[in-house]
Amino acid sequence: MKKEYLHTLQGTRDERLRRMSFVLRSLWNIQMDMSFGSWIHVSHSDGHLFQVEYAQEAVKKGSTAVGIRGTDIVVLGVEKKSVAKLQDERTVRKICALDDHVCMAFAGLTADARVVINRARVECQSHKLTVEDPVTVEYITRFIATLKQKYTQSNGRRPFGISALIVGFDDDGIPRLYQTDPSGTYHAWKANAIGRSAKTVREFLEKNYTEDAIANDNEAVKLAIRALLEVVQSGGKNIELAIIRRNQPLKMFSAKEIELQVTEIEKEKEEAEKKKSKKIA
Amino acid sequence: MAATFFGEVVKAPCRAGTEEEEEDEEERRETPEDREARRQLARKREVRLFRRQTKTSLEVALLEKYPCSKFIIAIGNNAVAFLSSFVMNSGVWEEVGCAKLWNEWCRTTDTTHLSPAEAFCVFYHLKSNPSVFLCQCTCYVAEDQQYQWLEKVFGSCPRKNMQVTILTCRHVTDYKTSESTSSLHSPFLKALKTQNFKEPPCCSLLEQPNIAHDLPAAVLSYCQVWGIPAVLYLCYTDVMKLDLVTVEAFKPILSSRSWKGLVKNIPQSTEILKRLMTTNEIQSNIYT
Repeated sequence: MKKEYLHTLQGTRDERLRRMSFVLRSLWNIQMDMSFGSWIHVSHSDGHLFQVEYAQEAVKKGSTAVGIRGTDIVVLGVEKKSVAKLQDERTVRKICALDDHVCMAFAGLTADARVVINRARVECQSHKLTVEDPVTVEYITRFIATLKQKYTQSNGRRPFGISALIVGFDDDGIPRLYQTDPSGTYHAWKANAIGRSAKTVREFLEKNYTEDAIANDNEAVKLAIRALLEVVQSGGKNIELAIIRRNQPLKMFSAKEIELQVTEIEKEKEEAEKKKSKKIA
Repeated sequence: MAATFFGEVVKAPCRAGTEEEEEDEEERRETPEDREARRQLARKREVRLFRRQTKTSLEVALLEKYPCSKFIIAIGNNAVAFLSSFVMNSGVWEEVGCAKLWNEWCRTTDTTHLSPAEAFCVFYHLKSNPSVFLCQCTCYVAEDQQYQWLEKVFGSCPRKNMQVTILTCRHVTDYKTSESTSSLHSPFLKALKTQNFKEPPCCSLLEQPNIAHDLPAAVLSYCQVWGIPAVLYLCYTDVMKLDLVTVEAFKPILSSRSWKGLVKNIPQSTEILKRLMTTNEIQSNIYT
């Protein structure tokens, strides 16, 4: 629709009438063209669910989060959003514990994430009370994915605009990493990224996720930080990291610990570059 | 008479011409009130160029008043932030004019300390080489105002011995491709040039059926019609607000031959860009 046609109050009487009828016709055409595409529970004629795709676009607006499944550790790293001067930093969190042994990082609409996290936390406790066993990582992922899928098929609702990386250890001691998206699908991953520049980070992980890279816990942590440094502009200051080790609770890295890791990584980079230049010489 | 799809009954046009048409013409004739409304609207939508320091309007077109060999136009807040950080810090630029306009989407601001988040259109030239011009435009120029803008800037008979570079951004969902948009590596740069632009562009050319829009398209078409060598660098991004990653996507242009001497201190420019981002960051908590 031409932008000037929206301003229908100016011009001669004929022009105003013509513009009003144009606007009304355009609105009718838009509705017909979209074939109820804005109605979440109905598909478009070519099979697209536009609302789900729009929700996936909302995910790309969130900052990057990366998840890595090591041998004895799972790591979640996120790009911290810069906080306003007067804002309490503690209230801006991308990594949240769902239970003692499960935590998740998300990217997308903050409010939608809060609702999903609350529902997941209640489900974790409800499961523990009912079955007397903590949830498995796969169970809570499926719960979140089912919740998201319901919202893609209900009238008057819209899909949750978040993707989540859910990590943890099951009773069998095996580390797990799952990813969910707004459509309600979920998959297990060895390493994955969501949010802005997720593609760049995923490509880095595809090249660098090797058995050596996750040989021990420290290497897995370094891999997560290196992946984030590909896209985070201000270095370690803007990175938040959480790990879960087998039979241990969630541990959030402090800013100092992250800085130490970043310094180590930069040293290793320099040494690798020196070796390269020696070889060429 | 004929019926339309929407149920309206309209008069089918008749080439023969009948007495009834004369009656209709009388009805359609403009009243004085209509004419006054049209005049007021035209005055409101006029594009004016003036010097902010002296508050006097420019009587002649900008590039007719000053000779120009190189003209760089940044349209949109990311392109403007790129020029502010990488080009404007490596020399002394003097403001030579600014455009003031109004439309339903924006009104140019009058403040002196401009940030890429505000709506403005300002022209500068390099003090050490006054034939190098730069335009930073963050306001939306409506379709009916684009030709006025071109006339006031380039004039009715522009010189052909200048080179024009236009930088702008577009949302990646506007990019038409047979691949899935989720596989696109955004932000990415595409170029569109006029016939007389002989230099190789710094990125791949924009493929069909993609087109340029708005003011960048108007400037490029104008240059094509007048035979002026011009290139449009279009950055497709998924974040239209001021964003560091999108601004840095323009960096390949710095290696272009025509920009030699305009860009000096790149590490310092990166620092300036980071400061600009922090100052202008809209504290939106919608997305995390």
